Amino acid sequence: MIVAEQKPVEEIRRIIAPYERVLLLGCGTCVTVCGAGGEREVSFLNSVLRVAQAKGSNEIHSFWEYTVKRQCDFEFLDLLADKVNEVDAILSLGCGIGVQVVAERFPDIPVLPGVNTSFMGMAKEWGVWDERCAACGDCRLAETAGICPITRCTKGILNGPCAGTKNGKCEANKDMNCAWVLIYKRLERLQQLEKMRRYYPPRNFRVIPRPRRIVMKADVEPGEDNG
Amino acid sequence: MDNYQASRMREASRGRGLIPPCQVACPLHMEIGEYVDLVAQGKVMEALQVIREGNPFPSICAYVCTHPCEDACRRSQVDKSIAIRSLKRFAVEFGGDRMIQLEAETTQSEKVAVVGSGPAGLACAYYLRKLGYPVTIFEAYSELGGMLRVGIPQYRLPREVVDTEVQRLIHMGVEIKANTRVISLDLLFDMGYKAVFITVGAHQSLRMGIEGEESPGVIDGATFLREVNLGLKPSLGERVAVVGGGNVAMDAARAAVRLGANKVSILYRRSRAEMPAGPDEIEQALEEGVEATFLVAPTKVKRRNGHLSVTCVRMELGEPDAGGRRRPVPIEGSEFNREFDTLITAIGQAPQISEDFRLRIGKGSTIQVDPVTLTTNRTGVFAGGDAVTGPATVTQALASGRQAAFRINDYLRHRYPLVDKEAEETLSGELSPETIEMIRKIERLEPPLLPPEARTKEFKAVELIYNWEFAVDEARRCLRCGMGAEILFQDKCATCLTCLRVCPYHVPYLDDGGTIQIPADQCQACGICVTECPARAIALRKPYDRRHIDEELEHALKSAAESKSKPLIIGFCCQYGLFGTGALASLWREGKAGIWIVPVLCVAKLEEGHVLRPFEMGAEGVFIAGCGEQCSRENTAFWVLQRVERIRRALSQIGLEPERLQTFNLRATEGDTAEALDNFTERIGELCLASVIKQEVKS
Ligand SMILES: Cc1cc2nc3c(=O)[nH]c(=O)nc-3n(C[C@H](O)[C@H](O)[C@H](O)COP(=O)(O)OP(=O)(O)OC[C@H]3O[C@@H](n4cnc5c(N)ncnc54)[C@H](O)[C@@H]3O)c2cc1C
Ligand code: SF4
Ligand code: SF4
Ligand code: SF4
Ligand code: SF4
Repeated sequence: MIVAEQKPVEEIRRIIAPYERVLLLGCGTCVTVCGAGGEREVSFLNSVLRVAQAKGSNEIHSFWEYTVKRQCDFEFLDLLADKVNEVDAILSLGCGIGVQVVAERFPDIPVLPGVNTSFMGMAKEWGVWDERCAACGDCRLAETAGICPITRCTKGILNGPCAGTKNGKCEANKDMNCAWVLIYKRLERLQQLEKMRRYYPPRNFRVIPRPRRIVMKADVEPGEDNG
Repeated sequence: MDNYQASRMREASRGRGLIPPCQVACPLHMEIGEYVDLVAQGKVMEALQVIREGNPFPSICAYVCTHPCEDACRRSQVDKSIAIRSLKRFAVEFGGDRMIQLEAETTQSEKVAVVGSGPAGLACAYYLRKLGYPVTIFEAYSELGGMLRVGIPQYRLPREVVDTEVQRLIHMGVEIKANTRVISLDLLFDMGYKAVFITVGAHQSLRMGIEGEESPGVIDGATFLREVNLGLKPSLGERVAVVGGGNVAMDAARAAVRLGANKVSILYRRSRAEMPAGPDEIEQALEEGVEATFLVAPTKVKRRNGHLSVTCVRMELGEPDAGGRRRPVPIEGSEFNREFDTLITAIGQAPQISEDFRLRIGKGSTIQVDPVTLTTNRTGVFAGGDAVTGPATVTQALASGRQAAFRINDYLRHRYPLVDKEAEETLSGELSPETIEMIRKIERLEPPLLPPEARTKEFKAVELIYNWEFAVDEARRCLRCGMGAEILFQDKCATCLTCLRVCPYHVPYLDDGGTIQIPADQCQACGICVTECPARAIALRKPYDRRHIDEELEHALKSAAESKSKPLIIGFCCQYGLFGTGALASLWREGKAGIWIVPVLCVAKLEEGHVLRPFEMGAEGVFIAGCGEQCSRENTAFWVLQRVERIRRALSQIGLEPERLQTFNLRATEGDTAEALDNFTERIGELCLASVIKQEVKS
């Protein structure tokens, strides 16, 4: 799941300053789950912005709040079409994808980000989220016992651990587990330690062609002979 | 406000709540959860209003109801049931029930006769008056009340209580014909009555059928208690035996003690566990010195030199009978003799219905009726109470009187009976062991009793009333069954698992299909998940609690704006345990002009928006005061503090000092809270001044 964090209110206020009527747009999927931009957070932000305005700023905004199920698909945005004509800007609390899809769907209106899209990860417990995947496009978890060294090793090295590991912790951050120690322990448990003894050639992330696109749809043409 | 309006209002406030088992078990289906919750908030007059809507004579039930609701109460799965009857007694006394005057207008012309003035008859008359009918009660005895007057002794039901209710009925326009035994129903119809309700009770004591039962010195329980209650002081001698194990036997024994008998023994043919009398009655009788001998039955009575020689046989318990109780079987050759001066038989009663009534009689000499319409074999004749059920309870009699009034109304209005719409869903299901484990065990508080020595000298009421603190604490134990959380907007739920993770009672779970479920029968209605759900998908079944915060807040803000007192501080205070209206409000009344209190039904239900709203409306400071460890729910303080931290962070991001939001624990000794509040007010004053200066410097 995508994990994001609401931007500090000062920054949000700066971003929306030029616009009088602002739609605060939440997303009911990933950012709801990570507590950054669901219906509750939209309403919280609305309250805070109103307090800020009441406590002596010169701006006069009016705010609307709405939360769609998913911002990253056009169809969910259709029901905003009318509302959008009545506002000067949309502050999207969806992730970076959401912001862009909303912008693409409503070409005539400024769409602003209200959260910092941070990583792909999981909830460790209530209120704590950890990064897990870098979307590298070439998954190696089969070799690393289901633990991603690219994300979870500070240095992202493919042949670890490095010399900085100490008592299972990382030299860069003493509170953080060394990903490669975790990998070692789990491989040991799975009796696959031989995987540690192999060498994996380094990968060049710079060659990933961006933006990536995945096409599942095949190029077919129904006709008389075939369907 | 009339009953109809009030119940409408509550129907709306109850929202989608499920009917809890206590209410299902109550023959009158009183809204127990509702009034218990009001007592917990210290709103005793409102509690009384709810009680009065469901019960024509709450003051009577408050003394003698056998409280089947308590037997059904789900709290007994955790520790002990809620003391529902005693809480009702508290609400009746402190809510000013005595002061209530009732009026009724006559809007119908058909006269209705009620034969018998027991609880069934009184209730029927009450509701018929409310429906606008002229009503006459015919009563064979000189005083009204049936068994309330001639059965139940004064130490359990003071006569003034019955008198007050009878006076109220007279005030409502019920015509009373005491000392009038009805001997023919035809006569009533001749007199112009269009419908008759027969509720003559079950006053005929059953006979033991043993040799010597007719001897002087042998008296049946109902007659004995009637004599006692009519002030006849029957002479008993020194040693009294009471045969039987029901409430009548207990009352007869305890009345005998009060009449001065030295030694009172109960002879019961089964063991203590099978005694039909309420455990409290048995306990209190034993405390008063009554002795009980189990597994014995008298077989012969012989009068000798002014005493009774009673032959008894020992019993053992055999196979269970149809009712599930084990049948007592005599042990051969175990006979023994005991000497008594008086033998009171209390092995049950049956109705005795005059043949001249020409009513169809069924099992146990009871009148046969249609259970829904309460109609008998004769047109226009309805029957209810003990006369139909055999000896039962006051509440059952009241319920049947109420039912009769509505069915008689249907009959007189030529209407197909509008049967009570029982469409509402009830809460069923036991609490799971995991939920039970998480629910804090809180001791059940009982109202005090007169000490046994003080009881037995006269017929003074044995049970005293709670004080406020005890009543409120006891009421707070209620689990609010059926009022919990539900996922109201399944389509919004992102299955984020927040509810599952934050619930202190581990109630929400993921079903096999990956959908979050919040089982209604486990939820403790703490409201934590409702506020934490990031999708706003959950609501409490009783939306009132949240609406209450909105309304109270807007009200406070409006009053504050009108008063213009500065600096404005809003305090959200837990309304339970008397804090909102009691402890804190009194601090505030002591001249802290700028502080406005918003009572909330548990601070865990406060949302960030509630707390921020006052700042938007010009408040300089906000505080939240919960009841701390006294909260009957778990983890509430933790969640309040989580939200407070988030809000403080946001405040500082918009240039407001985070200390403008403060939390207090109301449970801390009053002095401390007062001091903390003083400091807080002072600090807000300083901040206020500083910001004014800052603004002036700027401009
Ligand atoms: C000793 C004792 C203790 C009890 N304790 C409790 C208790 O603690 N809690 C509880 O819930 N229940 C208790 N009960 C049971 C309860 O009192 C009865 O179930 C209830 O009173 C039944 O009400 P009723 O209106 O059907 O009849 P009753 O109360 O029996 O009233 C019938 C009335 O009809 C009158 N009547 C009879 N025939 C005629 C006639 N022909 N014309 C005019 N009037 C007539 C009678 O005089 C009587 O006043 C107790 C009963 C007894 C005997
Ligand atoms: S817009 Fe972003 S946050 Fe919302 S569903 Fe799509 S990926 Fe998740
Ligand atoms: S806990 Fe409260 S609502 Fe539940 S059964 Fe008992 S009295 Fe009724
Ligand atoms: S907290 Fe709300 S969104 Fe999350 S699983 Fe529960 S109901 Fe669904
Ligand atoms: S958090 Fe409270 S309201 Fe929500 S399911 Fe658990 S007990 Fe019920």
